[in-house]
Amino acid sequence: MIVVVVVLGFFFALTAEAIPCGPFYALLHPDFVALLLLYWAISSASELSFTVVWLIGLLQDMVLGDVLGAQAIAGVVMIYLLYTGIARVRSLASWEQLFFIFVLLLAHRLLVWLWQAWAGTVTWHFSLLLGPLIGALLWPLFTLTLDYLRHALRLNHT
Amino acid sequence: MPALFFPRRYPPLLRVAVLILLTVFVSVSSEKHPNIGNVSLTIAYPVQWISMQGARLWRQTDHYLQSRAALESENVRLRAELVRAQPKLLEADILRDENRQLLALLDSIPHPPGKVAVAQIIAQNFAPGSQLLVANLGTRAGVFVGQPVLAAGGVAGQVVRVSPESCQVALLSDLDSSIPVKPAGSDTPLLVDGTGNLDSLTVPFQPRNTPLKVGDKLVTSGLGGRYPAGLNVGTISAVIHNGDQPFARIAVRPAVHLGRLGTVLMLWDSPASQPAAAP
Repeated sequence: MIVVVVVLGFFFALTAEAIPCGPFYALLHPDFVALLLLYWAISSASELSFTVVWLIGLLQDMVLGDVLGAQAIAGVVMIYLLYTGIARVRSLASWEQLFFIFVLLLAHRLLVWLWQAWAGTVTWHFSLLLGPLIGALLWPLFTLTLDYLRHALRLNHT
Repeated sequence: MPALFFPRRYPPLLRVAVLILLTVFVSVSSEKHPNIGNVSLTIAYPVQWISMQGARLWRQTDHYLQSRAALESENVRLRAELVRAQPKLLEADILRDENRQLLALLDSIPHPPGKVAVAQIIAQNFAPGSQLLVANLGTRAGVFVGQPVLAAGGVAGQVVRVSPESCQVALLSDLDSSIPVKPAGSDTPLLVDGTGNLDSLTVPFQPRNTPLKVGDKLVTSGLGGRYPAGLNVGTISAVIHNGDQPFARIAVRPAVHLGRLGTVLMLWDSPASQPAAAP
């Protein structure tokens, strides 16, 4: 049951990444897959496998059609960074986690950008910072919604 | 969740390092072999298909929420536009007839129009630099890599990857995109490059005393054989002569509203030049 919910969640997050809703949406939308990775890493008692994180990132690269591996490596490094301070982050309330989430999402976005720049297909633009900022601001709402869903579906034993 | 592949007895840093090496390998090989891109587009199709359904729902809701008054005023505006467009349509008819007669005089057979097919956009990826769309026609409909893609107004881009059911289109504004053009009414060969910005393209390597000026229309020149000649590409919106720079900076506004594409036209050139393309 829990596996089905997690897989469905990532499926919808991937869908939301690629949905063709025009340039404004592309500019403003947070990285839903990264947010979901952070949520499961923080809230589940067991440790996420880096390989699974990597494979999810690879699928995201395929959906976005960019350089293969950019999202994959960014996701792995982001989760690794999170695990170096996981005890501290877990002890905070969700609105207090906001700053950490912003830093992690920013690291994720910059890594993706660096990887794509290495392949030679991007330019720098300040709008790259908007996604992580909005993602961090949405974090309390995001965790609240997912906590509620987990409670409603009785998925507390993770 | 189970730890796939990596037993937990190795330290996390080592596991991350191994994955980084693996990513370098995957990235390099995907850049080298275009087939990997086509395969990954095939794998991504189900997710993209669902995302198109989401976008369709969004658009329907948007239509539903538009008030009657807004629709009525739009109707009035469109009628007025139609009335204004009538004389132009007549003019176009006359010009087409005249053109045919002139071509007959020159003893050149007019270029037969190619086949087109309508495709829906099912996914987008707009990042600074890369501007990619995915459309819902693939090799099964006869789509091929390098195929020109049109939209209302002119050229939108070209196909860069294909899967059986979908294809990835690089818009003209993509940083890697470049299209051979000429000014309408002249034969000077030029290029138009993408800048990574949806509303602005550029003409590279023009001297500071370039004869190009603001308002000049650029159309495809047909050089290179990828795009047929005479399709609208854009209008020059700025020519900046900077004293220190060796070249003039020329901005081009694309003829197609690249950010708001919902449907595009896949173009097959006339059978004579593309024998294997049409299904």
